[in-house]
Amino acid sequence: MNSSSLRAAAIALIVHAFMAPCAGGYTFDSIVPASGGCPQPGHRNLASGASINRRWSTSLPATQSILTTAAQGTPAQLDEMETTIKQAFDAWTGVSGTLLSIGTLANGLAPLVRTSAQNACGNDQGTNADGLNTICFNQSSAAFAFGVLAFTRTLTADGPGVSVGAGAPSAFAGEILDADVQFRNDGQEKFATPGALAAAPGAYDLESLLAHELGHFFGLDHSAVWRALMFPYAPPPGTFLGSRPSAQFPDAPLAEDDRTGLRVLYPDPSDTVHAGTISGRVFPANPFALAALPSPSAGGSVTGIFGAQVVALDADTGVVIAGVLGGWSCDATNLPAQFDGSFRIERLRVGRNYKIYAEPLDGLAQPTDVRNVTGGLCRADVPPACAVPAMNTNFAVRIRPSP
Amino acid sequence: MFSRRFQLVRALAVVTMLAFCGAAVATTLAHLSVEQMTSAASMVVRARCVSTEARWQDGEIWTFSTFETEEAWKGIAPAILSVRLIGGHAGHLISTVPGVPRFRRGEEVILFLEATRTGDFTVTSWAQGTFRISRDPRTRLERVTQDAAGFAFLDSATHQFRESGIRNLSLDELRERVEAAGRLTGSKQ
Repeated sequence: MNSSSLRAAAIALIVHAFMAPCAGGYTFDSIVPASGGCPQPGHRNLASGASINRRWSTSLPATQSILTTAAQGTPAQLDEMETTIKQAFDAWTGVSGTLLSIGTLANGLAPLVRTSAQNACGNDQGTNADGLNTICFNQSSAAFAFGVLAFTRTLTADGPGVSVGAGAPSAFAGEILDADVQFRNDGQEKFATPGALAAAPGAYDLESLLAHELGHFFGLDHSAVWRALMFPYAPPPGTFLGSRPSAQFPDAPLAEDDRTGLRVLYPDPSDTVHAGTISGRVFPANPFALAALPSPSAGGSVTGIFGAQVVALDADTGVVIAGVLGGWSCDATNLPAQFDGSFRIERLRVGRNYKIYAEPLDGLAQPTDVRNVTGGLCRADVPPACAVPAMNTNFAVRIRPSP
Repeated sequence: MFSRRFQLVRALAVVTMLAFCGAAVATTLAHLSVEQMTSAASMVVRARCVSTEARWQDGEIWTFSTFETEEAWKGIAPAILSVRLIGGHAGHLISTVPGVPRFRRGEEVILFLEATRTGDFTVTSWAQGTFRISRDPRTRLERVTQDAAGFAFLDSATHQFRESGIRNLSLDELRERVEAAGRLTGSKQ
């Protein structure tokens, strides 16, 4: 079966729907542990008893124009920036049904502290892999290339007992040990706090960028769900996407997909509201369409659509509740990962009806946008060997009822 | 009914998205045209990846990819290139930076490169300065797709956002644009 016939094939979506509490993989950065096994999603360790440290560098660039605030005077500017950073964090900790929720895990996040070190995120002098989670606006990292404005770097352990700097050893594969958010400081672009954005139309909304970056801080990768905060596109300068956080709705900038992802990573075991799961597999209508694909492992084959975006809509409101990147499954007793078209959407609100659809990543969200998700499904140095197939974007969508 | 409704929802979403979406933010990139990248890069090469290695250096994990230069479209390129990019898997730690291109041995790419202060090279604007080469299975013609295809970028001149990634472009066409921008037809190997 050649690629053209695959392109012409419609997919049949067979949903084995059931509603039961469950935990497990979603569209997060994942890693096969050094000791072998199934890919594990990257996330923070909230069970260690130690709170997650957070600090930001108050050493601002000499070109102050890249950081626009409404307040006048340095102390007031710092306060305004710190408020913006806190609100960006609050967007995530304000999600109900997670261990990050305020009051559920009081020790989860340490207070946001200030550091005056100019290059607290990384100074190329060997101190940046320090286990400290930092936001910096005044960096000299050699990583910046022409045209790169900001990025987030996370360090994740591939097994227990791994540590960086003075941080505690990891408890599991996938534990995020260090994350640094770095903004370019050469004056090419501007960033503005919410209070200053209206008067700085050429500036990026600092709160929107930070809230997105902090999604990576907690372990989320990009989402292909439009309007999700983790969708890999930001609002144009001078604007922001979604709503501003408020005391009543601190998670207002987030979409349901963002909330669902966080609930899967940090589930509150006492949460009985978001305890539903829908799982299934995505197949081509013509199963022979997969026969020409390269074998991903010895004796293995691709037996389902790999890389489909599977989305759950609230049947009554049409709101996108969650989207996952589907296409594989893993059983620790039957390694390696199988590229069988499996998907699993978890932490759905119970008592609601959902409609499910699958679509290829051939729109504005691309396979390259989620490379960190799929790249960890196989590991060259850990048997049994496997190779991640190319994501399948050559299929059309046709929905039919499940049998 | 569902199918028709879904199509409508999706169409509306795409239209609205085109109106609102901006730059990738996990790594935020400023929009650069091929011509701007050509100007910013010290070299533009067609190269084949021969090895990759991630290791610690100066307190950070870097992935060093070694390339054999096949053609130089701008600048005078050495036969063997070392490209340094942040992130990678070293020891028992994985350093992740969304937006940074990764390469596989044997892969052919077009790279816009700039020298680093450590004597090797980095890719101009990361995903934006990386083009993967593929061959049409029927015609055997070579085509290129930018890693950042699908991103929408800020046009610094107009401060407007637009989708501008290059997807499935003829390799010859990209080369002509680079060479026209660089006016360096004499630098080919």
